[in-house]
Amino acid sequence: MIKILAIALTVLLIALTAAYARRFSIGKEISLAGARAIVQILILASIIIILFKLPFYWSFPVLIAMAAIAGYTTYSRSGRLENGLPVAILSIAAASLLLLIPFFLLGIFPFEARYIVPTGSILIGNTMNVSSLAIDRYRGEVRNRRAEIEAYLALGAKPELASSACLKQGIISALIPSIDNMKNLGLVWIPGVMTGLLLAGADPVEAASIQVSIFASIFAAGMIASSLLLRYFTNSFFTKAAQLKEDPD
Amino acid sequence: MDNFHLELKNVSKAVLRKVNNTRVKTQILSNIDLNVRKGDLVSIMGASGSGKSTLLRLINRLSERDSGDILLNGKDIRYYDPMVLRRKVGMMFQVPVVFKGSVRDNLAFGMKLWGKDVDIQTLSRDAGISENLLDADAKHLSVGEKQRVCMARALANQPEVLLLDEPTSALDAASAERIEKLLLRLKLEKDLTMLWVTHEKDQARRIGGTRLILRDGRLEEDHD
Repeated sequence: MIKILAIALTVLLIALTAAYARRFSIGKEISLAGARAIVQILILASIIIILFKLPFYWSFPVLIAMAAIAGYTTYSRSGRLENGLPVAILSIAAASLLLLIPFFLLGIFPFEARYIVPTGSILIGNTMNVSSLAIDRYRGEVRNRRAEIEAYLALGAKPELASSACLKQGIISALIPSIDNMKNLGLVWIPGVMTGLLLAGADPVEAASIQVSIFASIFAAGMIASSLLLRYFTNSFFTKAAQLKEDPD
Repeated sequence: MDNFHLELKNVSKAVLRKVNNTRVKTQILSNIDLNVRKGDLVSIMGASGSGKSTLLRLINRLSERDSGDILLNGKDIRYYDPMVLRRKVGMMFQVPVVFKGSVRDNLAFGMKLWGKDVDIQTLSRDAGISENLLDADAKHLSVGEKQRVCMARALANQPEVLLLDEPTSALDAASAERIEKLLLRLKLEKDLTMLWVTHEKDQARRIGGTRLILRDGRLEEDHD
């Protein structure tokens, strides 16, 4: 009964928001995004039901599929740069997995799909957001600072050095939301993991400790993935003769 | 056979220009030939958008020519490492761009790339930069001062050729005159080969050397 009520509430809210948002010409997008969200999350729930009955390592194909979709999203944000798709997928998958493993090795969570899939998805989703923001901002910085980059090149600097200030700005800008989230943790909102644990009846201090470690992992994974990605994408802004390519826009 | 310092042979270049929100390929340089001896000064005039800056950018390979050859000391510039070429062929832009840090940091930049020190005192004196300014934040200088920093920064690399893309056009008259005189003095002292793009005929006459006009993608001598 609860699930039917929750879905009914979701449909009602999406319909009302979309109706209101029509005046901003985004009613259709909201309806579509809402419909997709409902279908996708129900499919995921069905997959999780199956996963719960299987050995834990079956969780990893699901996480890899999530990382592939996340990589594609970031790749699209990059303006579909050459060879960008495999690099985006690998960066997001590697950074997320690296930060996921300690939770299980240290025994914070047991090796069960119930823990692996949600924790992994939190890391993948947030790493995707940071990476997409970083690449978007990096492209913007390179576009806006052409004169500066060419001044560096004209003095004999290599492209990596010429664009390093733009890269740095890209990473900083992408991490600002995560930093703000950490700063406001517990002050403005109770984040998802802690909320879930509290609803499930966990000890508040234990829930808070897990939440803060998840936040730190999100931050670290975002930084690792965006650093890898942006370093790789630097080459795509320049020709082999160290010339800044024409702005495609 | 003449030994030219810099040679352009049949150089052509088309660029993409935005016309009514669509990109149109425009032939900006057509079969350009130019021979410059060591220590020569060549001024290049032309209307806005005639390809003067593009021509300079081809010589230090900030842009790539479509066809033709460009030779420095008889060697095709494609066979130089672009980073090495750009040290030999320095460039000053119309709008000076200083890097983050002090004036001293800016002047030391080029040589630092190669792990060498630079004589900041001599360099700043040559460029007319007061010693008091050396530790100032370069971003806070006036446009004229910034252009002098850019000039000194380019000279710190000890270039053989200096490409000047309207280096005085963003400056007030007094600063422009000062930079112009400094450049001409440094050219003589260091035996620099200079290609000086300007839109001012008076400036081209003042600085002397060979006067050329870029018109309809071709270089012509200015006899006025």
